[in-house]
Amino acid sequence: MIASRGARKIKPPRKNIQGDDVDLEPTWVTLSDSFREIHTQNASQLSYEQLYRHAYVLVLKRKGDQLYKRVIDFEHDWLSEDIRPRLHTLASSALLSFEEYDTKTVNERRVSGELLLKGATKAWDNHQTCINMLADVLMYLDRVYCREQRRTPIFEACMELFRDTVLKWLVTKGEDGMDLLDVLSTIILDQVRMERDGDTINKHFIRSCVHMMESLNESNTDGQETRLYVTRFQPRFLKASTEFYREESERLIRENDAGTYCRWASRRIREEEDRCRSTLSESTTDKIRRVVEDELIRNKIAEVIAMPNGVKFMSDNNRIEELSLVYNLNARVDSKKTELITAIQKRVAQMGDEINRAALAASHTPPAPAPGYSDGSTKSGERVVNQHTAAAMKWVEDVLQLKDKFDTIWRLSFASDQALQAALSKVFSEFINAATFPRGTEYISLFIDDNMKKGIKGKTEHEVDLVLDKAITLLRYVQDKDMFEKYYKKHLSRRLLMNKSVSNDVEKQMISRMKIELGNNFTSKLESMFKDMTVSEELSNGYRAYVDKLGDYDPARVDLSMHVLTATVWPLDHMSGALDRDPNKQDKAQGPIFPPEIERVKKGFEKFYLNRHSGRVLSWLGGMGTADIRAVFPKVPTKDGLRERKHELNVSTYAMIILLLFNDLSENEALTYEEIEARTNIPPHELTRNLQSLSLATKTRILLKEPMTRDIKPTDRFKFNEGFSGKFIRIKVGVVSAGNRVENDKERQDTDDSVRQMRAHYIEATIVRIMKQRKTCAHLQLISETISQLASHFKPEVTMIKKRIESLLDKEYLARMPEDDSMYKYIT
Amino acid sequence: MSEPTEYVTLVSYDGFEFKIRRSAAIISGAIRRMLDPQSNFAEARTNRCTLETIPGIVLEKVCEYLYYNEKFADSKDVPDMEIPADIAMDLLIASDFLDV
Repeated sequence: MIASRGARKIKPPRKNIQGDDVDLEPTWVTLSDSFREIHTQNASQLSYEQLYRHAYVLVLKRKGDQLYKRVIDFEHDWLSEDIRPRLHTLASSALLSFEEYDTKTVNERRVSGELLLKGATKAWDNHQTCINMLADVLMYLDRVYCREQRRTPIFEACMELFRDTVLKWLVTKGEDGMDLLDVLSTIILDQVRMERDGDTINKHFIRSCVHMMESLNESNTDGQETRLYVTRFQPRFLKASTEFYREESERLIRENDAGTYCRWASRRIREEEDRCRSTLSESTTDKIRRVVEDELIRNKIAEVIAMPNGVKFMSDNNRIEELSLVYNLNARVDSKKTELITAIQKRVAQMGDEINRAALAASHTPPAPAPGYSDGSTKSGERVVNQHTAAAMKWVEDVLQLKDKFDTIWRLSFASDQALQAALSKVFSEFINAATFPRGTEYISLFIDDNMKKGIKGKTEHEVDLVLDKAITLLRYVQDKDMFEKYYKKHLSRRLLMNKSVSNDVEKQMISRMKIELGNNFTSKLESMFKDMTVSEELSNGYRAYVDKLGDYDPARVDLSMHVLTATVWPLDHMSGALDRDPNKQDKAQGPIFPPEIERVKKGFEKFYLNRHSGRVLSWLGGMGTADIRAVFPKVPTKDGLRERKHELNVSTYAMIILLLFNDLSENEALTYEEIEARTNIPPHELTRNLQSLSLATKTRILLKEPMTRDIKPTDRFKFNEGFSGKFIRIKVGVVSAGNRVENDKERQDTDDSVRQMRAHYIEATIVRIMKQRKTCAHLQLISETISQLASHFKPEVTMIKKRIESLLDKEYLARMPEDDSMYKYIT
Repeated sequence: MSEPTEYVTLVSYDGFEFKIRRSAAIISGAIRRMLDPQSNFAEARTNRCTLETIPGIVLEKVCEYLYYNEKFADSKDVPDMEIPADIAMDLLIASDFLDV
């Protein structure tokens, strides 16, 4: 309070209360009577002021310690004489029903348990209210005496009394005698068990009891960890739950399928959480959840996943919901979801292997007779696809389907989990790049090829987008990107040169997508292929205009359109058809001998071209071109009388050269294979193919072969088929294997070789690049750096890198450091 | 009369009655407990506290202080209260008793 100011005299306080010594006894009698009233809920007659004043006076008169002691004694007596017997009777009868566990029904047990819970709760509540009032009345005692003497305030002291005299009083005698707390715990556990078994229990009483245990400490020290609930009840609860769930999970896993088990487990976890919220304490939630998770999931998940109707079954049958349960359960106990990931990976790897094997098997069965394909007929030629190619298509479709399937599962069941996505990507990439299945890259490129040629015909932009997306998805998994690039270039070049592509726009879209995915390096060559096409077209037009200006129109003149391709960009070794030759020293010297009229045109164009771009060398790739020739066949009798028949033949350049040979021959004169070869210098492989299509395919039999066998032998003789007749004016003479298809083993060998060669260059370039920057570098570091830099192209083998390092050492780009053998030095 | 009223009556031992706002009265710990409707003592039922130790003149000052305290509880630079020196000791004792 505010002290007074001024100098006035301060009167001594009046003596009405300080008066004489107060006698303790009569005052105490009043007080203890009143306390009893309070305990029996009769406080409304009492005057607080009076009681307070009594206590106040006693404390003032230094009788605080006596008062304190008497209050505690009073409470102790009250608790042990009034409350304890009542509760203990209830406890005993509840215990009794446990001892006669077998004879009593669940219901009886529940009722007696509830009675005790109710009694304890009520006693506790009352005690709290009364002590509150008591403490209020004795406030002055608390404030002055307890603080001075460092005694526990009345309220806390009485709470401890309740704990010691009521709760910790042994109900049963003997070594393992139980105190009331034990009995209460047992009953609560029993009731929880009943609820787990599906009975309804009165949660309210349990909740209050738990609350009581939560608000009391084991000893007189404070702290979360010493609460009776934590020290006495929780351990028992967790232990009982562990046992319960261990047993139950064993049983359920035996009796049910994986899906049911998972559903059930998630329900149990939810239930336990609810129970903690509504019946027990929130603080137990985490602990009981861990127990349930341990018992139901961690110890069992592997078993569940491996069950015959586990994850494998679920993913095979698209059990989205069950998979999602498995995912959630696994995610609970393991943020990495190891078990699930392993299972899924295993399954995907299995299915991937199957797809790989199927593709290999399909491609190894003897291919359908190829000649059917070489038929120039537009009908069957388009449709009959080489079996290899079919296998490739099927492989890609299968892989995509598998991917789709697991993507769906991943999205719907696995909450688009990152770890699982990574795992799926990994396993996909593993089987696509599997060592036992080397053709993935080729197949993917073929798939794109097929779609570019016909697949996307008549599809909407959106559908096309989807196809491209799929292709890119697969591409992402491919490790040997350089391999893919090679195939893609090859297939793309065929598409471009033969005008097979349905839409240039889509081609360009595809490339820009690859650019996004794989970077500029990867697509720059593909892009320049497109540029070459455009330039060539301009060039053709330019040349035509140039020729037109040269002189009068000559009906016999040969029209020429050509593509000028940049040699480094286009996969020329694949296109020239020069399989039997060393790709490095091909062409010019050995190029085919063109007939004079063609040779003239060729020269003319070369002149024209070199005028524009001096210093360039043009090589002609006869194998890639086509020619339209107008052929006149001798008159034969028809129903309209004798008629001359004219056909426009669309043939390959080589076929044109061959046919023009026959122009100079007289009727019935024949040429042998060897003669033709000598006069044209066409590579034997190509020659054979062209002769086959000219003489064997029934619809384009312009030449007659002797003897009429399927194979072409050097001694075979050919002559012009004067009796040739065709239904159409225009006839397209196809050439065997003009389209993109899976390589045969020999081609594959070539591709592998050339890829290996290219990789060697790549690796050397990379090593030099690294060394140039670092000047010196340790062996291991150099290797790992090389691998990481090349990762976007392919996965180099360490032995290969070692070889390249050695070769660089030989070439004296690098040297070993004199002091340390494992270090390299860059030599400038 | 068990409903808590807005005003309560404080009675001094010499019979003076002071009607005072409940919110101000319960600034005193003792009075607050007296009037606590949960404990349901006689004072709580009647909303009337007879303070057998405090004379009217002191109780008046106490009431003044209770209002004063309520008014300036959260402010600074509070004007001092006038305390007549002659009742200063009694006032101190009363404040101890009432726990203010």
